Amino acid sequence: MPVVTIKLDEGERHLPFEPGVSLRELLDTTDIRVRTACRGIGACGLCRVQIEAGDAGEPTPGEYLHLDDAELAKGFRLACQIMPTSDLQVTILARSPTSAWRNLPLANRRFEYLSTFPRRNVTPKMLNPYGVAIDLGTTHISLALHTLIGHQRLAGRYGLNPQIAVGSDVITRLAAASEDAEQARYLRDLVVNGIAEALFDLGLREGLNLEQIIRLTLVGNTAMIALLSGRNYTQLLHPRYWMQAIDCLPEDPQIWIDPWGLHPEAEIVIIPPLAGFVGSDVLAGVLAMNLTDTSEPALLIDFGTNSEMALWDGTTLWVTSAAGGPAFEGSGLRCGMPAEPGAIYRVTLNDGVFDPLVIADTAPRGICGSGLVDLIANLISADLLTSVGRFAPQVPNEGVFIAHGERNIVLTRKDVDLFQRAKAAIGTGCQVLLREAGLSAQDLGRICLGGAFGRFLDVRNAQAIGLLPNINPDRVELYGNTALLGCEDLLRSPVACEHLNDLRTQTTMINLGQCDDFDELFLENLFLQPS
Amino acid sequence: MHNALMQKLVQALIDGDQATAVAQTHQLQAAGLAREAIITDGIEAAMTQLDARCTVEQFNLLEIMLAGRAVMSAMKVLYPGDAAMFPSQGTIILASLEGDVHDLGKNILKMVLTAKGYRVVDCGKDCPVDRLIATARQEAPLAVGISGLITTVIPQVRQVRTKMHALGLTQIKVMAGGAALKQATVQSLQVDFIGETAFDCLHYVETLPGGAL
Repeated sequence: MPVVTIKLDEGERHLPFEPGVSLRELLDTTDIRVRTACRGIGACGLCRVQIEAGDAGEPTPGEYLHLDDAELAKGFRLACQIMPTSDLQVTILARSPTSAWRNLPLANRRFEYLSTFPRRNVTPKMLNPYGVAIDLGTTHISLALHTLIGHQRLAGRYGLNPQIAVGSDVITRLAAASEDAEQARYLRDLVVNGIAEALFDLGLREGLNLEQIIRLTLVGNTAMIALLSGRNYTQLLHPRYWMQAIDCLPEDPQIWIDPWGLHPEAEIVIIPPLAGFVGSDVLAGVLAMNLTDTSEPALLIDFGTNSEMALWDGTTLWVTSAAGGPAFEGSGLRCGMPAEPGAIYRVTLNDGVFDPLVIADTAPRGICGSGLVDLIANLISADLLTSVGRFAPQVPNEGVFIAHGERNIVLTRKDVDLFQRAKAAIGTGCQVLLREAGLSAQDLGRICLGGAFGRFLDVRNAQAIGLLPNINPDRVELYGNTALLGCEDLLRSPVACEHLNDLRTQTTMINLGQCDDFDELFLENLFLQPS
Repeated sequence: MHNALMQKLVQALIDGDQATAVAQTHQLQAAGLAREAIITDGIEAAMTQLDARCTVEQFNLLEIMLAGRAVMSAMKVLYPGDAAMFPSQGTIILASLEGDVHDLGKNILKMVLTAKGYRVVDCGKDCPVDRLIATARQEAPLAVGISGLITTVIPQVRQVRTKMHALGLTQIKVMAGGAALKQATVQSLQVDFIGETAFDCLHYVETLPGGAL
């Protein structure tokens, strides 16, 4: 894979890439942002870089417009106009301040050929109306902006849900809101402002006029939607409501037109959750994966702190949710971190030495979910870790050393324990769904994975430690945020909306807590071995 | 010879090897050892070692569950059927309260207490406070133990001691543990004790009048 080397004050960074994306798009996947004010079409001329070595191709007409001969002679170029094909060495001339909002990973482009739904007819209130799809998650908020005339995602952002300041888990936030109406308002404002900031970042950096947004569609887990609307969130604290529909849609979502800066007549659509523990995010994921389109059994696993699983058996959609803890998202581990620049996302073991790959090739700062799966699978195959989760005697007390970084990156016994619990929650959920549907893992034609792992998960390693059922790895499909993909379908297509309503009637919910043999199944699934 | 057999039982229990633990218990009985001896020299010896390891290094949930399963199976060999339990050190009531359908932690504590000779009355998961208190009234336990994984049960935990005191059940201690409760203080939860691990709760119970020590 060719590599772009970025020279920065703080040192060099090496970004391997698949040809086909512009230098700006490549930079946008990292924390190095170049200044911009258009959608990468060469219009604003702000994203200046200097080519130090390598072939960046001929300048485009747009570049001739913004750069004079002397500048071009020095190797000055516009990052959005360069489509690298081979190794390049680049200095960034106009660096943008960091933002809490990042571009969506390029992997999410997949959806352009994925979506099968016909688009909505719009009566244009203007020449080029836009729509925005939002996935409101517990940890992250993700947005995608579309043109409603064409068939194209123009830009996207994701960032942390600011409610994390109140509590990283759903229950803490719900409890805070239930105890104090002031807290409930504060939580709602945090999200409303977070979305406003993300939209502002989109508008500013991509040169898009937010007032062209005439439609906004939002999906989310039930708790996040209830906290946003300020309605009936207290019910969610009680298990009696987990399997029931919760009346949690906002009375008047149009009040957010103003803070979000949308077109004055914009329509804001909040997709209702199905029940306390089945949000509209899960349903949207099922929709985007076309999970229920054929009679072939298919399984969707959406990895997160709360992982959701949906199994289609040809006639019924079985859905459950399992609270496995945030290990897959890199939280709670000694050296864990989300899949962001600096995260070890892949690990191989060569002659007893770990060879870690780091996102955006920075000094490693931690390890994310996919790296953790590789690491644990490698430790087992090297007999440094037993399937029970005990390190071999030669492993020092402080844990397994993985890499040097700003601090030493290690994996501790406790990390393994947390990982086992998260893995067992998923394994138990899948097992119970298959049992309810009267299927075995071998019957599955597809397993679609969304959430924390993105595209980085090594399927064979995941199977070796029993995280995924042991079926032909070719049948396992990796996606990023499936809920956002589904929300984009709902934004653009009334057929998708109808389809979603059909899903509601086809769904049967399973509460794992009410399974008599949960403990035994959970215990079996704690073992780090193929299932 | 008994010693070697006993050692094998202790090792099997620590390793969580259920099949071997059951086989060894049968063998020790066949060799003519009294139940009480098997408990004192086998099961309790294993528990003491597990206890020590629990505090020295991070214990992994699977290891504890496996050990717990092995211990409970060995106990079943010694006392088939619930009725004929050995002379009890006292009764302890355990529950996960209404709203909490997680009870792994409670089950580990149940194992630890059972192995140490306490009679455990298990109110199960998702147990309403009033049912817990009704059970306490009936069983006259040394203590009531509440395991909580989710923070929503905190308001219910706070009711337990007050409600029991109102019924005159002032001698029954209330202890709490589990992910959602162990960071709290005894004052904020209105309980008598908060245990970091199952063994902490055991040690607490042992200090109670009528407890083992």
